Amino acid sequence: MTAQPEGHVRVEDVCIRFDGKQGPVTALAPTSVELRPGTFTALIGPSGCGKSTLMNAIGGFVKPASGRITLDGAPIDGPSDKVGVIFQQYGLFPWFTALGNVRFGLKRLGLPKREEIDRARAALDEVGLGAHAGKYPQQLSGGMKQRVAIARTFAFGPKVLLMDEPFGALDAQTRLVMHELLLGVWQKHRATVLFVTHDVDEALLLADDVWVMSQAPGRLIRHCELKQERPRSFSRSGSDLLEIRDEIIGLLHPRSMLAEPA
Amino acid sequence: MAVTDLRPPSGGLRARLPGAAALRGAASRALLAGPVISFAFVLALWAAVGAAGFVPETIFPAPWSVWSATAEMWANGTLQKDLSVSLSRAAIGFAIGASLGVSLGLLTGRVAVIRMLLNPFLTVLRPIPAIALVPVAIVWFGIGEGSKYFVISYTVFLTVWFNTHHGMEYVPETYLRASRSLGASKPREFLTVIVPAAAPYIFAGLRLGVALAFLSLVAAELSGASSGIGYRLQEARQYIRTDRMFSLLIILGLLGAVVDLAVHRIGKRLVHWEQS
Repeated sequence: MTAQPEGHVRVEDVCIRFDGKQGPVTALAPTSVELRPGTFTALIGPSGCGKSTLMNAIGGFVKPASGRITLDGAPIDGPSDKVGVIFQQYGLFPWFTALGNVRFGLKRLGLPKREEIDRARAALDEVGLGAHAGKYPQQLSGGMKQRVAIARTFAFGPKVLLMDEPFGALDAQTRLVMHELLLGVWQKHRATVLFVTHDVDEALLLADDVWVMSQAPGRLIRHCELKQERPRSFSRSGSDLLEIRDEIIGLLHPRSMLAEPA
Repeated sequence: MAVTDLRPPSGGLRARLPGAAALRGAASRALLAGPVISFAFVLALWAAVGAAGFVPETIFPAPWSVWSATAEMWANGTLQKDLSVSLSRAAIGFAIGASLGVSLGLLTGRVAVIRMLLNPFLTVLRPIPAIALVPVAIVWFGIGEGSKYFVISYTVFLTVWFNTHHGMEYVPETYLRASRSLGASKPREFLTVIVPAAAPYIFAGLRLGVALAFLSLVAAELSGASSGIGYRLQEARQYIRTDRMFSLLIILGLLGAVVDLAVHRIGKRLVHWEQS
């Protein structure tokens, strides 16, 4: 670990277009945002607003039409092991066991086999899956799969962690457990996290910074900085959290609220 | 009846809590019951037609005539020899065709230049049936083993190539993204992500390839062979030995089904994650 904070992401005037059937479609209007080292940022917005597109650009999977993205000063020009990604659909390899999946991410370190296995086991222990190391993903529940994915990504120590609606496929109870687990692992490893979600509560319970995105083409329309102690809850963390919640919900649904008869 | 026998006695505790092993046994017996009933039905019908005696034996031999023809061929050793010759032709042809098909499929699936150079050509080759190739094979390789291997491996190759190629094309994007964000090198991504992801398609291709090896085997042997199941069929026609023909056809069908089942089982074990 170096003393200097790492994992500083700057997004400067980034605009992203796709080729649609009727010419180019703007998925992300020019956007600037900064992810400070070691912070947890949540990006929230209606489905299809371009929040995943922004995330994919930071992951190096999508090239911006204009503007630039840098990580610790160096431009991002493709996927790299400095940026870990956790997908809603887990992205685990079904032909590897849980342990094999974690080892896959450690391979590039070129460790001796014994040490690689030990580190992979330690990573699984950290997410409480030590006993399931030999199981294949399809033998695990959704929550357990996502825990394997978290272990796999944190095990090789990325500076930035991108999470694309990671708990979107899980039930409410499992989600709460996952929030706790994620915060625990994150506080230990201190990567810079960008967390995409459409769940306002999830964003408010987890993040230091919450950005709200408008309908497509996506623009960032609101920024909230949250200083409340973690673990948070709406009953314990004071009324300002509830006020922010109401405001964000209002921002997200103005049109649908007008359209629906009360 | 077999079906009622499978159920534990009703009313007791065992009826409500059947063991998992008992259930599995019952399920596999039920699975076997289908084919057994089907074969018994056809055999009975066939025997009835034979016993009625209104169709001449040379046109439609009775089951017992076919059985004695089989025993005769077994006793004089031709059946064993034909089987071993035919099976080794099918096996060698399959091995050549399948290894070429998988290798080229991996290449055309991943390397754009090779795909551009070969795909249109291979696509035009695919509709040409194996039997149409026999005359060319004989001119090129003579009537020896070479022409048989050529016809069989050609057919197997195209099918295996096609399936492998498509498997490579449909590797889910999430796997590639996960692999790249985990810092996998290109060779490692290829061997441990792309090939396993395409494996279910490759195995489907191999299974089809086995079936095609049997089909093209007979096509290859029907012209210009001096041994093998296909040759023996041809010979039986000259002597109007319909009983032998039936015997050989049934053996071909059974062999094909057994080999297909074996390949299916092996594939299921190797690509165990594709079950759900």
